[in-house]
Amino acid sequence: MATHMEHSYAFFLGCIAPNRYPGCEASAIKTSAKLGIELLPLKGASCCPAPGAFGSIDLNVWYAMAARNLCLAEEMGKDIALICNGCYKSIWEVNHKLKHNDELRDGVNEVLAEIDMQYKGTINVWHLAELYYDDKICGVKKVADSVTRPLTGTKVAVHYGCHLMKPQKDRHFGDTENPMWLEELVGALGAEPVQYRNKMQCCGAGGGVRGYDLLHALDITNEKLINIKEAGADALTEVCPFCQLQFDRGQVEIAQNFGKKYNLPILHFNELLGLAQGMTPAELAIDLHAVDCTSFLEKIQ
Amino acid sequence: MVEDQTPRIGVFICHCGTNIAGSLSVADVVKYAQTLPNVIVAKDYQYMCSTPGQTMIKEAIAEHKLTGVVVAACTPRLHEPTFRIATREGGLNEFRFEMANIRDQNSWVHMHDWDGATAKAKDQVRIAVAKARLLEDLTPKSVPVEHAAMVVGGGVGGIQASLDLASAGIKTYLIEQTPSIGGRMSQLDKTFPTLDCSQCILSPKMVDAGRHPNIILKSYTEVESVEGYIGNFEITLRRKARGTRNAAEMEAAGLKGSGCNGCGDCTSVCPVIKPNPFEFGMAPRKAIYIYHPQVVPLQYTIDFDACVKCGLCKEICGPEKAAIDLDMVDTFEKVKVGCVILATGYDLIPIEDKTEWGYKRYENVITGLEFERLICASGPTGGHLIRPSDGVTPMKVGFVLCAGSRDNTGGSSKPYCSRFCCMYSLKHAHQVMEKIPGCVPYIFYMDIRSFGKMYEEFYYRIQNEGAKFIRGRVASLQEDPVTKNIYVKAEDTLLGRPVTVECDIVVLAAAIKPKADAEHIRQMFGISKSQDGWYLEAHPKLNPCGTTTAGIFLAGVCQGPKDIPDTVGQAEGAASAASIPIHKGEVELEPYFAQCVESLCAGCGMCIPQCPYKALSLKSLDDGRQVMTVTEAKCKGCGTCGGYCPGGAIKMQHFTSPQICAQIDAFLLGGLGGEQ
Repeated sequence: MATHMEHSYAFFLGCIAPNRYPGCEASAIKTSAKLGIELLPLKGASCCPAPGAFGSIDLNVWYAMAARNLCLAEEMGKDIALICNGCYKSIWEVNHKLKHNDELRDGVNEVLAEIDMQYKGTINVWHLAELYYDDKICGVKKVADSVTRPLTGTKVAVHYGCHLMKPQKDRHFGDTENPMWLEELVGALGAEPVQYRNKMQCCGAGGGVRGYDLLHALDITNEKLINIKEAGADALTEVCPFCQLQFDRGQVEIAQNFGKKYNLPILHFNELLGLAQGMTPAELAIDLHAVDCTSFLEKIQ
Repeated sequence: MVEDQTPRIGVFICHCGTNIAGSLSVADVVKYAQTLPNVIVAKDYQYMCSTPGQTMIKEAIAEHKLTGVVVAACTPRLHEPTFRIATREGGLNEFRFEMANIRDQNSWVHMHDWDGATAKAKDQVRIAVAKARLLEDLTPKSVPVEHAAMVVGGGVGGIQASLDLASAGIKTYLIEQTPSIGGRMSQLDKTFPTLDCSQCILSPKMVDAGRHPNIILKSYTEVESVEGYIGNFEITLRRKARGTRNAAEMEAAGLKGSGCNGCGDCTSVCPVIKPNPFEFGMAPRKAIYIYHPQVVPLQYTIDFDACVKCGLCKEICGPEKAAIDLDMVDTFEKVKVGCVILATGYDLIPIEDKTEWGYKRYENVITGLEFERLICASGPTGGHLIRPSDGVTPMKVGFVLCAGSRDNTGGSSKPYCSRFCCMYSLKHAHQVMEKIPGCVPYIFYMDIRSFGKMYEEFYYRIQNEGAKFIRGRVASLQEDPVTKNIYVKAEDTLLGRPVTVECDIVVLAAAIKPKADAEHIRQMFGISKSQDGWYLEAHPKLNPCGTTTAGIFLAGVCQGPKDIPDTVGQAEGAASAASIPIHKGEVELEPYFAQCVESLCAGCGMCIPQCPYKALSLKSLDDGRQVMTVTEAKCKGCGTCGGYCPGGAIKMQHFTSPQICAQIDAFLLGGLGGEQ
């Protein structure tokens, strides 16, 4: 595909989006195209690899695998855009570390040499949501201008996710205790962003908690769902397929384990944006979610 | 006095117990010193600063007819005065003494390098001897001291310092930038651990300061600029346009009318309402206002940023008083004082920067100072503690200690302990239990630092009264959007598990920091600060009230966090220290000033703008030739001019070019001693 848009990026898919929520992948490509952002396939990419699963066990493997993905984008000469907080943690943070630590970079390059690759540190890594918010690339106004079916009358709660925002000192998002920029983006779609208690609490899944102790993870998710429901939200939006999985399939598991039903539609911000840009739920694969989104879809008809 | 003759130097090497002797070979250094040119005698002793040590110096001067003395020991900051006196008592001019710092700059830093430290000590002694050979007799200079003092800052520290100075017969200018003295203490409800009413014990002192014949109280006034030196500071004050005049000011201005008597008629008609900063914005005030009923001086002030100049106040004030002047502008006056005490106090850090606690975002999260106003009978709620969100009396009150103190995360956080938060939070806990039956305080703490007299006993008392203590730092505060209750999340480190406590209101014991304008004031007065921004005392233990700038003293929190007793204690110390040169009437200055060698001076004047202390000027000699001249009392001996003079016409006494060159030669030419 020849580059014909103003901004183009190597699109790092990650694992959960293509395997569990194809709507995240589809909506990212389709909505970005309407905003002048082209997402090019990053061919040969592997798992990011997952920061909790790999980083907690062997940092060197984590560095090397993430660096390999970075090398692929370096070969394309493109910055990476991605749609998952876990991927962001791995790809952004390893890129950041390798750029600022010569010793670490030399070590990683020794490993990469075995597959004839070399990390050079020539590209940057972005979460697609931050590109949407960035006035130099897109900006809230451009997002608002792309809306053909405003989500007027809906109340949408926002979940930022931990790996995107924290640790604060290593990130560039400013206030990480009460950020409001995703709310601005949600507001641009015509929806009313709602505030709820303990907004910055974890979804429950990250850091290997879901894999290690499902009930504990669900307990955290349950607390979040209580708080979100209390604030009267019609749906929750997030920017991470793993958070999405925890909130979406987690509701089924909570019903099974705790006997509580919330029926709260969970939409990746790109899916929400796709709806506001007039795309059908099928185009965005929203019908594949575990929690039925009909209640929300009816509200925006 | 020493006649012009071949130098005869005595070298004395101190063991300082094992401080020096434990890290290098004193015997080797003594043996080496004996080989240096012009060294007549070299000895060592366990403690040179002791009486036998000093006697050794005195006797050697007489016995060997010494012209110079070198002591290799600790730092001149510690014992230079001691050895100078010994030198003088031995019959030599005291400036014929030179010190080699072989402890702080050698044995302490090279503790594990015996040979290296020994070699370095030899170098240091050789360098000192090279200078001692060229030392000259010098006479310290005395300057008269103005019989007046200035205290900057009218909190309890500034008030106490002023009262002490004034009572000791010294005319004292008390400068306060707000319209009333009283400072932070006047904003407090009660004081720990005695539970005295803060205003009750402070207001007598405020009143005393207001009417003391020796205190010239300048409220709503700031320091504009500072010139001069100890004994002779010339300070320009900016009297901010207050919009009113009191009786004395009317008379001084030659105006008719009795001036402001504090009747308050003006404020009742003023149509402009603004938040009162004294109440942290929780109560209103008019554009013409006093902070509270007990202000000193009792004189109204117009906030010209808010005033619409409708003239209603002027009208009601009437021609008899004629106190109000809506066209008033800032005025300046110059005063001369001998010493200055800085007592500029503190602010809270912007605790909203610690976003995890949501101050300014959650209505029911307040600071300790706001709590003081809310619990104070003269405060905005008449002493009824209520939740800002709905006015309801809280039954569960959370206290977050070390809010930004003892916190190394950077930003607005402070690594130091703010020192009074533990105690005032205990006091707050007591107050809520006393005023609201059934109300439970939850104190989240790292350590309770109850270090003062009767403080630990107060801590036990609050425990016994039923306050809940949870040892753990608060990770976050979460507001319930519906009830506006605050969920306090922390790790209980004694139970080893996370806890969440739902509170009706949460009080942050916010860290403190120097006042916003402290840095500007510091630079005007030419004093130093420590790395945390507080003003730097001359010595942390032995000179806590002085600064490294002669004639400038410190009182209270501006020097570092401290509570009221410590502030008052330091204020009295500062007043005592400041009164010494004033009562003595003169101060002796180190004779390190620059001297113009008139025969070499071309009168170019290029040195004059180089001087940071404005000590240099040109004068005409009898033959009409222009030369530079030094105002010795202003000269700090920094050497800037001496290094700059293209003609080498400026001699820095005690640091002359030949002396310094000899030291460099001695160092670089090693054992050659610069002679060959």
